[in-house]
Amino acid sequence: MNLSESPLINQKLAVDDHAQEQLHNLKHADIIIGIPSYNNADSIGRVIKAADLGLAKYFPNRKSVILISEGGDHEKTRNAVNGLKDKNYFEDSFIAKPEFETEVLVTQYRGTSGKGTAIKAIFEAAKILDVKAGCMLDADLRSISPEWIELLIAPIIYKEFGLVAPYYSRHKYDGTITNMIAFPLTLALYGRRVRQPIGGDFGFSLELIESLLSKDVWETDIARFGIDIWMTTVAICENFRICQSFLGAKIHDAKDPGNDLSPMFKQVVGTIFSLINIYMDSWVRVKGSKPTAIFGFESEVAPKPIDIDVSNLIDKFSDSVPKYMPVWRKVLAPENCKKLEEVAKADPALFEMPVDLWIKSLFDFSIAYNLRTDGMDPAEIIEALVPIYYAMTASFVRRTQNLDSYQAEELITQQCSYFEKLKPYLVEHWQNEKKGDM
Amino acid sequence: MRKKILVVDDEKNIRLLLVEELTDEGYDVVTAKDGAVAFEMIQTEKPDLVTLDIKMPGEDGLSILRKIRETEYDLPVIICSAYSVYKSDFSAVAANHYVTKSSDFEELKNKIREILSYES
Repeated sequence: MNLSESPLINQKLAVDDHAQEQLHNLKHADIIIGIPSYNNADSIGRVIKAADLGLAKYFPNRKSVILISEGGDHEKTRNAVNGLKDKNYFEDSFIAKPEFETEVLVTQYRGTSGKGTAIKAIFEAAKILDVKAGCMLDADLRSISPEWIELLIAPIIYKEFGLVAPYYSRHKYDGTITNMIAFPLTLALYGRRVRQPIGGDFGFSLELIESLLSKDVWETDIARFGIDIWMTTVAICENFRICQSFLGAKIHDAKDPGNDLSPMFKQVVGTIFSLINIYMDSWVRVKGSKPTAIFGFESEVAPKPIDIDVSNLIDKFSDSVPKYMPVWRKVLAPENCKKLEEVAKADPALFEMPVDLWIKSLFDFSIAYNLRTDGMDPAEIIEALVPIYYAMTASFVRRTQNLDSYQAEELITQQCSYFEKLKPYLVEHWQNEKKGDM
Repeated sequence: MRKKILVVDDEKNIRLLLVEELTDEGYDVVTAKDGAVAFEMIQTEKPDLVTLDIKMPGEDGLSILRKIRETEYDLPVIICSAYSVYKSDFSAVAANHYVTKSSDFEELKNKIREILSYES
């Protein structure tokens, strides 16, 4: 598509002017691979090589573009890209160069700083190029192979899916926000089992990104870490066909939830809670959950073990009780607050967070966030949930320390069924709160 | 209206047993002995739910499930296998439920009731 004909021309684009000009000169591509990056120059080379080789191997007759959307040191990333210009990695891989050489571009995205805006720039480029399909890859991936490109793109091109979510083999303690919150809430609320609803690597159709770009959310937390759960939820609620692709192990710069994940937690959970309000008409009617199609090839993979400091999580929870109890008293139903006080008083050696208390707490917080702020800032409400999440994570680690990853997965599945069983609690309390507002 | 269930199992005795059990539960039941017949019956019989064995000669149940999901996005499928080991295969997540065969099929019948109550 000519840029002058693009409906995006009158908007403030996240993709910068120089990249727009390059895209304009390219006119059209069949496939785009986007790599949102924030100072990932040291690791991005591997991802670019795998993407380029994957395109050559599986889509040799398609015109393709790789676009890196950088939010940090733009020059360093450009230098890393320039270092790959001779493409001599083709010689070592036994993969023939494709009919159309893949263009590798870098844009320094504009707008709210965060992953969501980096992705917006890639979506804009996809729309300008009028692609048939695309995929997004995390810039810090170490386990990527060219096969990922086929698995993320082929279901869009050949089977007309709108979103291809990743399905990874992960260590039982990798992805705690996914396992404790994003997966079970998506399943219970919207009725679709998408195992990695905030996975950074996914495939998309042009129709899906047109729908996403049309929404006025890009100045909110969605423009940061909320982007992945937002896209998955929109795709489910707006009836795009979703499938999953088994990508094997995800090896990346994983983090201990007690030390690193608090900002991500606030942005992801804030987005999930906002979506609960936006899509209330959808989730209130949903009963049970449906599986999601899956493609790929089974392989024995051993994800990298992750250590979680359980004592640190329990200490952080216990130490925060005096600070957050006033907020918990406002947010939680009285019986849930009382139970939480009992959990906090327990001997650390016997520490356990009951699953039903965790689920009801999440539901109470979502109601307070949307309908009953009692003069509190919504960000303050989310912040008060962080220690309870630490408590739940500590409890999960205790319960699963002697289990292998498959057995831990069984426990997560069991917890998901509790989310489904307790959903009427959310429906009832949400509706009561709404009636109280009238 | 009575719900229709397609039973896919290579063992004739299991098919007969399930026809009897599920008919007693108030369902219309049709059967297929392999994947090829199952795909045909999904098109012609339009079942409301499929029960699927895994270990069958020729195409196995997980492969059949993958193909079903390419076209029948929301058709409920319950894997009903004598083996629990396949539950850990990633392909099994595309099924609504995975139950191991028992003599009275009680778990299978409960899951069928549960899923069809959501669908109605």
